[in-house]
Amino acid sequence: MKVSLNHLKELVETDISAVELSKLFNLHSSEVEETYQLVDATNLVVGYVTEKVKHPDADKLSVCQVDIGGEISQIVCGAPNVDKGQHVVVSKVGAVLAGGFKIKKSSIRGVESNGMICSLAELGIDKKFIYSDGIYVINEKCKPGDDPLSILSLEDEVMALDITPNRADLLSVMGVALDTSTILDVPLKFKVPEVKSIEKENPVTVKIETKNCYSYYARVIEDIVIKDSPNWMQSRLIAAGIRPINNIVDITNYVMIETGQPLHAFDYDLLGSDIIAVRMAYEGEEFTTLDEHKRKLTKEDIVITNGDKSVALGGVMGGFDTEIKEGSNRILLESAVFNPTNIRKTSKRLDLRSEASIRFERKIDPKRTILALNMAVSLFHKYANGKILKDYKFEDNIDYSEPVINTSTKQINDNLGTNLSTEEISDILRRLHFEHQINEEVLSVILPSRRQDMETYQDIVEEVGRIYGYDKLPLILPTTVSKGQLSESQIFIRNIKNKMTGLGLNEVLTYSLINEKRIDEFTKSKANFTKVASPMSIDRHVLTSSPLNGIIDVIKYNNARKNKDMFVFEVGKRYNEDEKIVLSGALTGLFSETNWQGTKEVVDFYTVKGILDSLFESLYLGHVEYEPMIDYKNLHPGQSAYIKDYSGVIGFIGKLHPEYAKSHSLKNVYVFELEVDKMLSSRRVLKKVKEINKFPEVSRDIAIVLDDSTTTKEVLDVIKKAGKRMLIKADVFDLYKGSPLDDNQKSLAISLTFSDTKRTLETKEVDQRVNEILGILKAKLKAELR
Amino acid sequence: MNVSEKLEAIKNEAKERISIIKSMHELNDAKAKYLGKKGMFNDVMKLMKDLPNEEKPMFGKLTNETKQIILKYIEEQRNLIEQAIIQEQLNKETIDVTLPGKKFLLGKKHLMTQIVEEIEDLFVGMGYQIMEGPEIETDENNFEKLNLPKDHPARDMQDTFYITNDTLLRTHTSPVQVRTMLEKGGKEPIKILCPGKVYRRDDDDATHSHQFMQIEGLVVDETTSMAELKGTLLEMANKMFGEGRKIRLRPSYFPFTEPSVEVDISCHNCNGKGCNICKGTGWIEVLGAGMVNNNVLEASGYDSTKYRGFAFGIGVERLAMLKYGINDIRQFYTNDIRFNSQFKK
Repeated sequence: MKVSLNHLKELVETDISAVELSKLFNLHSSEVEETYQLVDATNLVVGYVTEKVKHPDADKLSVCQVDIGGEISQIVCGAPNVDKGQHVVVSKVGAVLAGGFKIKKSSIRGVESNGMICSLAELGIDKKFIYSDGIYVINEKCKPGDDPLSILSLEDEVMALDITPNRADLLSVMGVALDTSTILDVPLKFKVPEVKSIEKENPVTVKIETKNCYSYYARVIEDIVIKDSPNWMQSRLIAAGIRPINNIVDITNYVMIETGQPLHAFDYDLLGSDIIAVRMAYEGEEFTTLDEHKRKLTKEDIVITNGDKSVALGGVMGGFDTEIKEGSNRILLESAVFNPTNIRKTSKRLDLRSEASIRFERKIDPKRTILALNMAVSLFHKYANGKILKDYKFEDNIDYSEPVINTSTKQINDNLGTNLSTEEISDILRRLHFEHQINEEVLSVILPSRRQDMETYQDIVEEVGRIYGYDKLPLILPTTVSKGQLSESQIFIRNIKNKMTGLGLNEVLTYSLINEKRIDEFTKSKANFTKVASPMSIDRHVLTSSPLNGIIDVIKYNNARKNKDMFVFEVGKRYNEDEKIVLSGALTGLFSETNWQGTKEVVDFYTVKGILDSLFESLYLGHVEYEPMIDYKNLHPGQSAYIKDYSGVIGFIGKLHPEYAKSHSLKNVYVFELEVDKMLSSRRVLKKVKEINKFPEVSRDIAIVLDDSTTTKEVLDVIKKAGKRMLIKADVFDLYKGSPLDDNQKSLAISLTFSDTKRTLETKEVDQRVNEILGILKAKLKAELR
Repeated sequence: MNVSEKLEAIKNEAKERISIIKSMHELNDAKAKYLGKKGMFNDVMKLMKDLPNEEKPMFGKLTNETKQIILKYIEEQRNLIEQAIIQEQLNKETIDVTLPGKKFLLGKKHLMTQIVEEIEDLFVGMGYQIMEGPEIETDENNFEKLNLPKDHPARDMQDTFYITNDTLLRTHTSPVQVRTMLEKGGKEPIKILCPGKVYRRDDDDATHSHQFMQIEGLVVDETTSMAELKGTLLEMANKMFGEGRKIRLRPSYFPFTEPSVEVDISCHNCNGKGCNICKGTGWIEVLGAGMVNNNVLEASGYDSTKYRGFAFGIGVERLAMLKYGINDIRQFYTNDIRFNSQFKK
């Protein structure tokens, strides 16, 4: 809502500037987007063109002698419509026009020019409000040297309010005036329009045939003369962002801006009957609106008819067939109230938002329906020579009884945290123009009809709070005592993030919505998925089945920007599995490098596995195993594994399949994904400390040759079983393939550590145990001592 | 040459010769030569038998003294040689300490996590519980129970990703508040903070993101007031933007709160003088808040004649953008590692 300060000051007693008022509105009423001068130009005067001759050296230029009040100024002008005998707007030398354009004394093709004769656009009026090109010719009575902005009523400030849905009352200058009066505690200057009607009867019959039209008032005006509306009205419409059209349309818009009540004027002679009947549209009914668009209606749209044919889309837009045009003589003026929900649906469905529909859908003040009608007809009389027929015709089903809200000083203070007295609160209500009664502790407030948003005592609290000033509220902390803490799983997830970053991985955050095509890139089987009904793009369409989908994009994005070494993780969700929380990650590139020493470590399967092992170790996950896996189509079948613990599979690790990697322009990327809840539930948290063994450890290294397809896990399982309690550790420290071994053979070197918690082991018994181990290795795995 | 002269000569010779020895090996040889079983003192001792008895003690004393002196020369020289050896080793081992160190990787948490954890910690310290909930929500929890019935004009304020008629991607974390209130059964006070991902049907651009991180807070008790809300928000402002912030509440509208306010924080960059971050106003708009609308309390089982509540909601990306001068919200989701790793936590 853009408010002309001139208009506002006609309704409320103040001379405050827009800047000062906007500061107060921000704190007490509604957000102000901006304030500005309607015309932001200086050094303008009215000039009178006393002489115009053609420029000696330019066909399209004229050299004008202009009386600018006590002196004659020579000005070169390029506008074709400039002429001798005109009053024009002159920006003198030193003037600054819209956009910071400075006027200087100059010489145009050899002829001196002292200023410029202006068009409205050059003064900064938006082109959409202007009809004629060329300079503006003043028709009003004026003399050279006068201030043209004052003569054209363009000396105005605008305050642009950003109004929240509840404050529909601020969609009228009256509403803004009421709040101004409240904030400044100054009187209002509302006027009652005087209607001078003729004796002739109003022939119209109004019939409301739908419950969605609450009231309908109609008045007829005859013998109107269509012309431009007065300057002051045009400039107030321009200030409000509405394009002036002609006196009739401008008056209906002007009254709407002032009262918030939308009006519509029909050409009565084109109406085709003396009946106004309001009904719901028929399903599929066709109707052409003012903007010449043919619209298909539904039974949720309200239409105004002549008893047969629709003539307007109620509350949204008038009809093309009954539009006021040059030559219209009789008009029927409508002032009505419609069901906000229907208006909202209609304007939304047809994508047709008008100044009227915006107001109707937010609920207008039903008590201004007649006021607006009267205001408009009296303006028709004054500015369009109209004769007003006797009485308005109407049907009105509105219950005008005023609801009362009971609250109390205590309730208001409890909610705000203040200590206001009943008198202070009563005074704020007086300033708000809220009628109220005080009965001991009870405050009974009559809800004004302009505040259709107010329903409960909380609304009164809000009104008192904003006018008293939120800046005056004390600052205290809640007295509510409670235990503040993170849940076990929140702590666990934080712990995971701490460990992962400690292990060198960066956390990323990716979108949950992905392209449907990618939904099963990291699932074992065809994933089911959840799709949003109306996506913004095909790439943000379904909820992801793995954070890896987003992580792959992160790696691609970074690789394309030469960030080749990427180690990232995300704690995200599998949305297709009840929003299961998973830890996913990807690594690629050089994990460590000290160039000048010639050492570097390229990320491989075992880098990632090592990182995960450290993670598991630090999270009390003691028995995690890796099992070869071939079930994921986008993972390398020879370099992938399930990660398992007591409870079964908790996740997977693997290298991207070369084909998949290639299709994403990636190379050697290793990924993993782990289910957080499974990790949380299979922890074996330390309960009692383990005594440190005081007896010495004995080590023996063995090297065995065995079939290449035998896994290290199988070997270690056999060793651990055969080593019994005495064996406390078995670590692989070398792997060898090649000559002199056969192609299908490998050699593993394993370090065995033995100990006993109760005594020192003897060499002989250790050697015997090693022999037993070797014997079982040979028997079970055909492993030979090398 | 008498005996004492002889001893004197040995001592002098030893002093001279020992002082020029450079290696441990030579020093050991010298020690053997002078003090060993077959050393020079053996010859000297042979002279003793020719001495008169009364001079023998004197001779013995003198001999021992001389031996001790030579031993001292040897030990002194040993120290010198040891020092020289160490010095040589140190010289050999001297490195260029300005060459780069070996890298040990330390990852960084995402800025969103850093800020969420920081705010969580503040509120846990003030007695709040951290509550989470599903991102796929019902229309009922996301809208209807929050005083946003179907056809409510304010639904236009939040364009929604619907999944079916009744399910959607939550547009705020308020449904977690609804769930908590329902769980508590209208019986006990509530003090919770609800962080999480939320979604709105927006085209992604520099200032809009279809997915973002939100933190909402809710307190419900018999004593809750706007003043408590204001005090709580000041704590958060000071935590996020440094001590000494001021806050300003302006009237606003949200269907779930009444009164509703927009909350501004005095600009951390210019301290309220006006700069490009606060667009010259001295204030930055960071969150929305208010007293919980009674319809919301009642819809989730709280008796609004007994209980009151306050609630606030903050967009974490926006907060981060204001704090660090980040000008494109998409940077949080593209994860350029050069961006992410600037935030060291």
